[in-house]
Amino acid sequence: MDGGGPERYTPPGPAVFRVYRLDVARSRRGTAPGPDDLRSGGPSDTVRHHRPGPRRETPLNEPAPLAVELRGITKRFPGVVANSGIELRVRRGEVHAIVGENGAGKSTLMKTLYGMHRPDEGEILLDGAPASFRSPADAIAAGIGMVHQHFMLADNFTVLENVVLGSEPTKGIRLDRATARTRIRDISDRYALGLDPDQLVEDLGVGDRQRVEIAKVLYRGATTLILDEPTAVLVPQEVDELFGNLAELKREGLTVIFISHKLDEVRKVADAITVIRRGTTVGTADPRTTTARQLAEMMVGAELPTPQTRASTVRDTPVLELQGVTVAAPDARTVVDDVSLTVREGEVVGIAGVEGNGQAELVDAVMGLRSLTAGTVRLGADDITAWSTRRRREGGLGFIPEDRHRQGMLLEAPLWENRILGHQTRPPAVKGSFIDRRGARADTQRIMREYDVRAPGPDTLAMALSGGNQQKLIVGREMTARPRLLIAAHPTRGVDVGAQSVIWELLKDARAEGMGIVLVSADLDELIGLSDTLHVMLRGRLVATLDPARLTPEELGGHMTGGNTVGAA
Amino acid sequence: MRRVRGMKAATLLLAGSLALAACASDEPQAGGSGSGGGGSSSDELKIGLAFDTGGRGDKSFNDSAYAGVEAAVETLGGTMADNVQTLSPNDDASNRGELLTQLAEQGYDPIIAVGFNYDEIIADVAPDFPDTTFAQVDGSNADGAKGDNVTGLLFAEEQGSFLAGVAAASKTETDRIGFVGGVQSPLIEKFQAGYVAGAKAVKPGITVDVSYLSPAGDFSGFGAPDRGYSVAQGFYQNGADIVFHAAGGSGEGVFQAAVEAGKRAIGVDSDQYQTAPADQQAVIMTSMLKRVDNAVEEFITSFSEGSVEGGTDVTYDLESDGVGLSESGGYIADIKTTIDDYRQQIIDGKVTVPTTP
Amino acid sequence: MTLLRRTGLAVFAPLLAIVVALAISALVIAVIGENPLTAVRVMLDFGETPSQQTQAMVVVVNRAVPLFLAGLAVSVAFRMGLFNIGVEGQYRLATILAAAVGAAVALPGPLHVLLIIGVAMAVGALWAAVVAVLKVTRGVSEVISSIMLNFIALGTASFLLTGPLRGSPEGASVITTSDIPESGWFPGLNGVVTGLGLAEPRSDLHGFLLVAVVAGVVVAVLLTRTRFGFDLRATGLSPSAATASGVDARGMVIKTMLISGAIAGLIGLPDLLGTSHHYGTEFTAGLGFLGIAVALLGRNTPVGIALAALLFGFLDRAAIPLQFEGIPASVVTIIQGTIVLAVVVANQVARQITRRQAERGSARAGASPTTGDGGRTTDEREGARA
Repeated sequence: MDGGGPERYTPPGPAVFRVYRLDVARSRRGTAPGPDDLRSGGPSDTVRHHRPGPRRETPLNEPAPLAVELRGITKRFPGVVANSGIELRVRRGEVHAIVGENGAGKSTLMKTLYGMHRPDEGEILLDGAPASFRSPADAIAAGIGMVHQHFMLADNFTVLENVVLGSEPTKGIRLDRATARTRIRDISDRYALGLDPDQLVEDLGVGDRQRVEIAKVLYRGATTLILDEPTAVLVPQEVDELFGNLAELKREGLTVIFISHKLDEVRKVADAITVIRRGTTVGTADPRTTTARQLAEMMVGAELPTPQTRASTVRDTPVLELQGVTVAAPDARTVVDDVSLTVREGEVVGIAGVEGNGQAELVDAVMGLRSLTAGTVRLGADDITAWSTRRRREGGLGFIPEDRHRQGMLLEAPLWENRILGHQTRPPAVKGSFIDRRGARADTQRIMREYDVRAPGPDTLAMALSGGNQQKLIVGREMTARPRLLIAAHPTRGVDVGAQSVIWELLKDARAEGMGIVLVSADLDELIGLSDTLHVMLRGRLVATLDPARLTPEELGGHMTGGNTVGAA
Repeated sequence: MRRVRGMKAATLLLAGSLALAACASDEPQAGGSGSGGGGSSSDELKIGLAFDTGGRGDKSFNDSAYAGVEAAVETLGGTMADNVQTLSPNDDASNRGELLTQLAEQGYDPIIAVGFNYDEIIADVAPDFPDTTFAQVDGSNADGAKGDNVTGLLFAEEQGSFLAGVAAASKTETDRIGFVGGVQSPLIEKFQAGYVAGAKAVKPGITVDVSYLSPAGDFSGFGAPDRGYSVAQGFYQNGADIVFHAAGGSGEGVFQAAVEAGKRAIGVDSDQYQTAPADQQAVIMTSMLKRVDNAVEEFITSFSEGSVEGGTDVTYDLESDGVGLSESGGYIADIKTTIDDYRQQIIDGKVTVPTTP
Repeated sequence: MTLLRRTGLAVFAPLLAIVVALAISALVIAVIGENPLTAVRVMLDFGETPSQQTQAMVVVVNRAVPLFLAGLAVSVAFRMGLFNIGVEGQYRLATILAAAVGAAVALPGPLHVLLIIGVAMAVGALWAAVVAVLKVTRGVSEVISSIMLNFIALGTASFLLTGPLRGSPEGASVITTSDIPESGWFPGLNGVVTGLGLAEPRSDLHGFLLVAVVAGVVVAVLLTRTRFGFDLRATGLSPSAATASGVDARGMVIKTMLISGAIAGLIGLPDLLGTSHHYGTEFTAGLGFLGIAVALLGRNTPVGIALAALLFGFLDRAAIPLQFEGIPASVVTIIQGTIVLAVVVANQVARQITRRQAERGSARAGASPTTGDGGRTTDEREGARA
């Protein structure tokens, strides 16, 4: 990593130019966008990773028999091919990971396998015999169970009641609790799930709830378990516990299909990996010999971008100055404690920290969404401490919120209305007190064009867009207003790699043009790559100021957890 | 998914058409029982009855008026189906005027409007149909301002209530009795005034608890048994042992509270002992009768005889047995002489009963 | 998903709901032993003579006008996510005070009417403002406070009516305020009706219809075309996003409730200015609650609410002719109830369909080019890696 050193590629140029070039690059590789691409059987050979010869994951023993095999599965929705020519081979007794970006077609595939819809083409084989599911009930009967990402448990029921719900053992018409309890204890002991059948679900933590879901599936006799993004809701320690459970399941000869896009976890837990991209399987990989980066490149179909910034563009004029900013939570706890920092024109100031250390509150305070208990906020020459959010926005504050669904968008409103959001007082979206519908629509179209927002049109509802496209719309909207200072909170969270690099480029260009940027992120590469100055926030305080040019993610991580407060750079 | 949705829609449509088909098959059977006052020859009796809020089945003055029509029609040799059209207003009774107009336009004559709420409406409609005879229960046309084709059917509720007060004061063991009014309107205040006066006439030191279930303008107090229950319960707990209600359908709650407290209650309008379940019969000491049925029956009879005067009131009081006390259950048999004594004094004008509290 | 399809869905859902509700009601009518087809015929039969027919239409419209205003008042708050159940109390209190002021002064015609309208709107707005202030300063749910304030408003109106504002003579069965002099009456529109070549109806078509139309247009423009309306709707769709965009949530609560209350203040005026000319114990009650149903049915848009109000008026008118056919008037209430219920269900279903379509749309957007690509040249990537 060479931090802010000089680099070979320069042209900043307007966004239009870049997007144009992007298209060229794509077509050069022969992967023009659009459904045709999918029907034709996926991307070109340059990114194909299917390898000939015997599988590498079982080099020593006789390969275990196939528990699940999918051949040429294609699933179309009106106007869309969600899956095309899927090939999947899962061996009995292995943890098989399916990785792919959001929207790559993983969920569609799993719904097919779980009987939630039927494929248009292709076949499903279970233990070598063709199978056809009309409903999840058929899939369950065939020994396939699904643990959903969002738990489907009744809080005020006990573990036992939740597990048996829908397949209650009965004596006459009475629930046979004794039998159920024995069976659940059996399952819990056998797979080391550690469940107490009589505990109320509402008293359980997230990890335990997930184990209840697993027990529920096992109770119905599943031999193949599908886990849909099981780690998304877990903290690291719970993830480790889950992986322990998966090992138990494996030991007992069960098969686990593990859906994820967290590559490190996948490499840790999986015996085999199948990568899905744009609705089709692009190859399999051996977790022991493949790096996370290689996996990611298979997922993306290209080598990964990195968030390296260009030469320093920092100027002298400060755009944002925080002096002793202190914020109290409603319970009077101090969540932001005496924070002072300065952002200059053309400077990206990164704020690193483990989430929940006051970053969100600090952002809210700068935006005027939370009042200060002490301190001042200056935007340029103005003291804006007492300004309303609207006045701050008019004064040149731009905002890319951390949670775009909560703070950045009206999901049930069309894109052109979302274009207006946050800019209700400025042209081209408004004329005086009135909304300029035509102007807003036209400008939305321009943003869609220039910022590569892929949507049918300005009247599309925001919720119809993928996360990346929503985020690009927000970035485009905020950039259009040419703010003096942009607060970017987790600007690439939950967006795909393509959108991520577009957003990074936009931030870099804005910085080059003199915009000051406060970047709050949990992505250490992003922080180190984009920031000119990096502050570390811990328990509401800025505990270190670091030079990103001489910093590794490991060092930064150390600072964030408070283990390494070396201080000033 | 689309197919599933299509099927759902189809199912809905199917259900809908089945419902319609089911309805259609009922046609011949239902058709017969339909129309009320179809063919109209001019000499045939066509009585229109416009209810007030609550309509048929309120176990109160609407039903009482209906009973009067029923009795009159029977005497005159007609049937309810052929000679009578009843109309109930909508929930907020905003279409009272339309009720009268439509009855008049359809040739109903006489038309009887039930309730003082028709006061302004009838004054507005009646002049437009000078050939139609109207009567209004509980509405005064003493000065003829509503038109000379309108007769007011009034009741001396205060006189009947006076006797109820006499009965309650004679029977109380705690010297404390109660009154529950439905809505605090001048009409119900007449009940209160008479009841209190009657009680004080017997026992000058008696305490009368008074409460109304809803304020003027809010008619919910006539149909809120729950509120009637809780108010009466409060009275009984505070030591009252007899509660008189003038609260229409809310009286049900008063009786229930009496049953639970083991105390007694006095009904209103009709002889409520007759319509109450056994456990309530045990507590309904008497009822203050307001013979709307008699008044209506009499009005129709005199109409058929061509003797309706119009532009004036007919008042039903103790003398004409338009109001009085019921004796079902025999709970007040022992004080009959006292009651009769007061009745006579009122009829003779020796006692004047106030109409406002 | 095109705009057309979305509007289609928006229209289709209530229509389907009405059809389902009518089917259910037909079933009910059949169960009680009457003929549903007779009911349909009666509902559609507006009378024999031209005068009866126009009268029927006037009855429908006159009923629809206050319902429309009530629905409008509810919907304005609803668009912002506020549930103003207090419309009932707001209009009752507004009407009695407007009636009292109107009766107490004598002004030239238009001024007199304007004053009455102004008083009614101000009282409604102020009463609603209590709800808003409680919510903004104390965090009291507007549902709770507006229900409570209904009781207080009705009680206050009764007290005023029987006490200081009593205009009817002592002992009269119906207690009313004093009559508003003729300069404070709103002229009827029968001149227009006959001018259109229709027969003269028996009742006056409420002139207040014009005010209602103006109110509807103003609200429609306000909601969809102005910045204020945008802020209002944005707050309704996502309070957090609206706040982050610079909308002052507290201010919006107060302004919205003021508007909602001001419109609520108008509900009683068609009757007050058009026919009764005083407020009294028999003054139509419950319109505020009906307004909630009308707003739901009309999906909170002024046009929808107007149609819903006309539908309610139409059904209401049928209550009398139905009784002539021996079908109980409560059938109308059943129909209205089932329609509202069915519409609520249908709206929810429509919402889910929209959502599902949208998600499918995103599946499409995701399936084809999600990945995009870095947009970097190979050189750059190598540079980055070096």
